[in-house]
Amino acid sequence: MFELRSIDIDLGQQGQADGSAVITHGLTHVLVSVFGPREAKMRSQTMHDRANINVEVSVAAFSTGDRRKRSRGDKRILEFAATIKSTFEPVVQTGLYPRSQIDIFIQVVQQDGGLLQACINGTTLALMSAGIPMLDFVCAVSGGVHSTHPLLDLTTLEENDVPNVTIAVMPKTRKVSLVTMETRLHVDRFEEVFRVATEAAVVIHEEMKAAIMARSRTLIASMKTGSQQPGEMEE
Amino acid sequence: MISFTSFPAAFQQSSYAHTRHHPDTKEDMMDVDDLHNFGLQDSKLTCPGEYLTSSQAFMRGHGTYVDNEEVIASVAGTVERVNKLVTVRGIRSRYNPEVGDLVVGRITEVPSVFPGIETSSGVDLATGTASEMESRRKLETGRCPHAVLRNGQLVVVPPILVRRLKSHFISLPCGVDLILGLNGYIWVSKHVKQNEQEGEEGFDAEAVYSNVNDNIDVSTRTAISRVTNIVRILASHFVPLTDALLLEAYEWTVEHEAEATSTLQEDFGDALVASVTTGQ
Amino acid sequence: MRPPSPSIPEKEFLFSALKESLRLDGRLPLEIRTPTFKFGEELGWVECSLGKTRVLAQVDGKMVKPQPERPFEGTITIVSEISPMASTEYEIGRPSDEEVTITRMLDKVLRRSDAVDKESLCILAGQRVWHIRLTLHFLADAGNLLDCACLAGIVALKHFRRPDVEVIGDEVTVHEPTERAPVPLAIHHTPFCFTFAFFPDATTPPVIDPSHLEQRLSAGLVSIALNAQKEICVLQKLGGVPLGTDDILRLVDVAVGKAKEMHNLVEVQLREDWAGRKVEVR
Repeated sequence: MFELRSIDIDLGQQGQADGSAVITHGLTHVLVSVFGPREAKMRSQTMHDRANINVEVSVAAFSTGDRRKRSRGDKRILEFAATIKSTFEPVVQTGLYPRSQIDIFIQVVQQDGGLLQACINGTTLALMSAGIPMLDFVCAVSGGVHSTHPLLDLTTLEENDVPNVTIAVMPKTRKVSLVTMETRLHVDRFEEVFRVATEAAVVIHEEMKAAIMARSRTLIASMKTGSQQPGEMEE
Repeated sequence: MISFTSFPAAFQQSSYAHTRHHPDTKEDMMDVDDLHNFGLQDSKLTCPGEYLTSSQAFMRGHGTYVDNEEVIASVAGTVERVNKLVTVRGIRSRYNPEVGDLVVGRITEVPSVFPGIETSSGVDLATGTASEMESRRKLETGRCPHAVLRNGQLVVVPPILVRRLKSHFISLPCGVDLILGLNGYIWVSKHVKQNEQEGEEGFDAEAVYSNVNDNIDVSTRTAISRVTNIVRILASHFVPLTDALLLEAYEWTVEHEAEATSTLQEDFGDALVASVTTGQ
Repeated sequence: MRPPSPSIPEKEFLFSALKESLRLDGRLPLEIRTPTFKFGEELGWVECSLGKTRVLAQVDGKMVKPQPERPFEGTITIVSEISPMASTEYEIGRPSDEEVTITRMLDKVLRRSDAVDKESLCILAGQRVWHIRLTLHFLADAGNLLDCACLAGIVALKHFRRPDVEVIGDEVTVHEPTERAPVPLAIHHTPFCFTFAFFPDATTPPVIDPSHLEQRLSAGLVSIALNAQKEICVLQKLGGVPLGTDDILRLVDVAVGKAKEMHNLVEVQLREDWAGRKVEVR
């Protein structure tokens, strides 16, 4: 009931991106690339006091069981992108990069439930590997209720059948920055699954942190081997 | 040779095999404290949201923020402490300009007032902040004013791989000059004779501001591309660039009689990095 | 065009007032503007206003062939586009983020929460079903367009009566309203949407039903749609300032209370309107 699906994180570099991450939650597979902070392309979007975050989501036509092409103007995808944007706006220290732009590109390769959770977690990791200052991790997890039992990390089949909630938690303060629920659920049940999911997000945080730390360690290690003055790295 | 891999090759093979549970059903939770203990003892690693120290005793620097009298990291990287100043140095972040930095830039637009120079720091120099303006002025007042770079080619590496060195102008004995810009842009070019470079009084405006390449013979061209490829290899293995290292790597490639083109092959690069880094 | 952001004095004034739990329109932080309804001559025509925010909702129904994959269900479509009439912030053709949110929320609250029983809209399986179309016109935006639109939408659906039909064998007879009393839609439950606004300063209490200025200056919105039976239909907090678990649950509690009040108010209003109508029953 409370078991999460296996999480795989790959922070390897993709092309020209400043930071990128591939995250899988079970069979949901999402690829995120971050560019920036860079000079804003559109003058109209520059803000004098902070960076503008731009999120673009594309869903592969083959990502679901029935092949379906979603256009870029699809309302659901627009909402999705807007959700991710507003989730990260208060977390990324945009004030440090006035008049610039941070681009987040999300490619959904395969989906099996928990799409929003994968996208948010992937974006967190990609932003971090791009070295963009953030207040904290943002860890998302989905939860549901089967009759009276709370469940975690739902697959598509489960998502279709039981009421489900997605939440995003900032683990340091345990505060919740995103909650979405789209199906009918009694208030008391909601409270139950909400609390369980908050706990689960902390577990996901550990995974994400381990991945980030592992990457930092590898990079530092390779820098050290080639470094002429090893003492330079010390405090 | 083209090789196909399913999805970009994983940068780390470690997969988390154990199952994850809700904390109520405690099983094999990863011990977070371990993360700090193993691996590199000198440089402390951190990631966003991690508590570093109390803000009463220390000052916050780059890569940190203060919340509730706690200094907290905002980027993933190494913690550095200079006296009372705590900073976190991001590993792969964009270039953060500082006063006095030597940068290699590229002119992207020429408006009537003054040109914008792209330096990979996110904001173009000409339109940048006060500190960036300062760094630009430093460049201008330095010994080598913002000269037009020619007779060579540009390589881009992650900015962290270019360390602050005594001199960012490196001359390799093979007749190749390198300018290591702190923004990660590196200019590899034909060697300029010493008297031409030093000529402060006999400043040859013609030579400095010319935008026409000199005639470069084949051997120099080969050397330039060889050095360029070495820089690329080192960057792809995330090895910081220094003059001694570059020289050693160059000698190694000559020793192995590698063609300039073959240096980009993966196994060759691995061997190069292995030999160069263990040699010390 | 993006309208200019509120001026700094305006912002500071609002924030310091809110800190003392004072709102510019004299309401308490957790007090909603009492909605007023104007019912049109036609059934299913409702103009709902929350203060100066006004939304016109209109429902009509026609008979169509059902979708092949769902032969026993009628369809409901919600047509809503915010015209520049509501506020200069909105443009035709290019939906802003806010507009996308409102449209999607309406869809979730009114359609996907199964407020209307779709199976009861079936007339003849696989042949004929009712297609109910809800059109929302946003007349004026003085803050909290979403709640107002949801309210207008659900009241319009409750107000609507479709002509009675009779099926004998394969033959469908539609009875004129003069002939037989039209029947209301089968409504499972009536969800109401409540929006709370949060402000950058954590000590400022959240406000319900934000005014336009409050909405512009808020650092996060939480929308909760629920019915009087304490069932949450949609809960949406899209980013914005992070909140504690208990803060959110407290909001849910507030919304539960409000939903009950709203339910009673709507029922009374509908009954009054119904009583005022001359209904011809033979």
